[in-house]
Amino acid sequence: MKTRAITVPNKLGIHARPAALIVRKASEYLSEVFISNGVDEVNAKSIMGVMTLAAAGGTTVKISAEGPDEEKALEGVCEVVESGFGEEML
Amino acid sequence: MRVQGVAASPGIALGPAFLLKSKDFKVVRRELSGADEAARELKRLRDTIDSVDADLSRLAKSVEHVAEGRQIVEFLRLLLRDPVMQGEVEQRITDELVCAEFALSVMLQDVMARFRELDDPYIRERAADIRDVGRRLLEKLLGTEKEALARSGEPMVLVAGDLSPSDVAGIDTGQVAAIVTDRGGSTSHTAILARGMGIPAVVALGNITGVVSPRDTLVVDGIHGFVVVNPAREELEYARAARAEYLEVKRSMAEDAQKPAETADGVRIELSANIEFPREVEQVKRCGGQGIGLFRTEFIRASMHGVETEEDHFHIYDRVAGAMAPDPVIIRTYDMGGDKFRPGMAREANPFLGYRGVRICLDSPDEFRKQIRGILRASRHGNVRIMFPMITHVEQMRRIRELVSEVGDGLSREGIPFDAGMQVGFMVETPAAVTALDLLLPYADFVSIGTNDLTQYTLAVDRGSPLVADLYDPYHPAVLRQIDQVVRFGHAQGKWVGVCGVMAGDPLAVPLLLGLGVDKLSVAAAVIPDIKKMISAFTIESAARIASEALSLPTGRDIRAMVYSRVAGKCPGILLDENLGIGR
Repeated sequence: MKTRAITVPNKLGIHARPAALIVRKASEYLSEVFISNGVDEVNAKSIMGVMTLAAAGGTTVKISAEGPDEEKALEGVCEVVESGFGEEML
Repeated sequence: MRVQGVAASPGIALGPAFLLKSKDFKVVRRELSGADEAARELKRLRDTIDSVDADLSRLAKSVEHVAEGRQIVEFLRLLLRDPVMQGEVEQRITDELVCAEFALSVMLQDVMARFRELDDPYIRERAADIRDVGRRLLEKLLGTEKEALARSGEPMVLVAGDLSPSDVAGIDTGQVAAIVTDRGGSTSHTAILARGMGIPAVVALGNITGVVSPRDTLVVDGIHGFVVVNPAREELEYARAARAEYLEVKRSMAEDAQKPAETADGVRIELSANIEFPREVEQVKRCGGQGIGLFRTEFIRASMHGVETEEDHFHIYDRVAGAMAPDPVIIRTYDMGGDKFRPGMAREANPFLGYRGVRICLDSPDEFRKQIRGILRASRHGNVRIMFPMITHVEQMRRIRELVSEVGDGLSREGIPFDAGMQVGFMVETPAAVTALDLLLPYADFVSIGTNDLTQYTLAVDRGSPLVADLYDPYHPAVLRQIDQVVRFGHAQGKWVGVCGVMAGDPLAVPLLLGLGVDKLSVAAAVIPDIKKMISAFTIESAARIASEALSLPTGRDIRAMVYSRVAGKCPGILLDENLGIGR
């Protein structure tokens, strides 16, 4: 399993639109992908899960991937988050 | 049986009734006999998800040209295809041996409860989307009536208590012959949208949903505002003939559509369209609109839930401006509040006297700048004008001019092209803006009168309250005098004056408004041919005589009757009603 902690860089955090972007990316891979805010851990391929995480801008989330393409999956999903979803950054 | 209501969208239609009742689902816990039945139930669930997904992908195709519509549908599909949620439902079916409907509704209740507890209002609001997807699934599983509308071969008359704007926006004009509702008014959002789509509508019918049974035959007269339930043979024949005549008139008008609007003495009047969504541009062109006189932008906020970016604004405006060029496009900045788009807003005792229009925008200048920047960038086509709603104070216009200059300076510095001479205007909607217009005008290049709000603020009548709706009357002398004053103030300072309220789209009001000196009219696209014909029936001088006579009369009823007597016979093609557009 591969894991990385990153900061949510956009002002509004992971609301609906960013959640959709994360889910779409995570669903491209065979591996299981999870996101955790330290309290809850959710499946990154579940839009409802990612939304209920409600990760605010500036908070740190832990992303992990496990499976045959776990490195690529982790890389891909982290890239989406780091891009700030094309939104206004903090 | 004949039921009288309020005409909300012109046209005559007949067809079988389709009752759209917003009832709560009764989901019963049905026990399954064992693993075999559970396996069948799982298949039924998956098939239903596939079928809803197919519906959504069809919907996605039909809104393909609208970025914001596409995003909404894509989001719904992700919800539908959520693997964790589907897993929970399937597990409940196999473990507890309960039917798919029950397992699904338990899951939905859990999720809704979880969402209600979230702090983030943006995310909390998405609960509505989850409910929507859940409803679609449950409807399919239970086989309820909404599906029948999609399957019915012939166009039907949609009968409902009330329809939300999103209900109306989702209607396929090929399936719906007309809309009739218990509630609503002739200036409600629903009525405005129905007119925009050219679907006849009668509203405020009281209890039409209680009177009509499914498959009853209905005649809907959206000109005179009545509905006939199960008409007698003569009534049916009369309706068929009236409908044929109406369609023939429409057809001949459509032929004239591409000619410019001109009075009988050859004075060109700029006749443009009010639109709500970018996709309406096609209809505007088909109907012969010479531009967009009012592009409402609130749908952007409604569909993007407050996360819209400058790029979102820009792309939407740029597409509309590009498609309409060189004809002008007036983009109105957000007019949230009042009776529309209030999610997340604090409750107010008098929302129409509260937080709405620029009052909200000026409080969040960062958001406001995004929209202004998007509009200014779209002005590169050279045909964009910007318009601000709910202006009452000179300070507001000063601040707005500062913001517009700041944003323009920023663009210049960054070398981004825009029209430095873009016209700036505002809506005249309150007696304050009318009586102090001479003080506000130095900050504007034009004004546009919003007659719905001006009427309600002038007469102190809430047009949505059935108790006082009969007092709502844009022909009231107080309203006409204000329009007269706006034109005088405007022309004294060399500024043009437009009217973009519902009144401009009432054929009867055309000679009045022209006679008062209004320079431009903006109306629902569907009525452009009618209004154009009306404009061509009068000279400026004859219209001025009608207007000055109207200003001498004591009541709205007298004024309508007088104009009616001058207009009747002039345009046999247009079906007029002297009560058109007025409450009972």
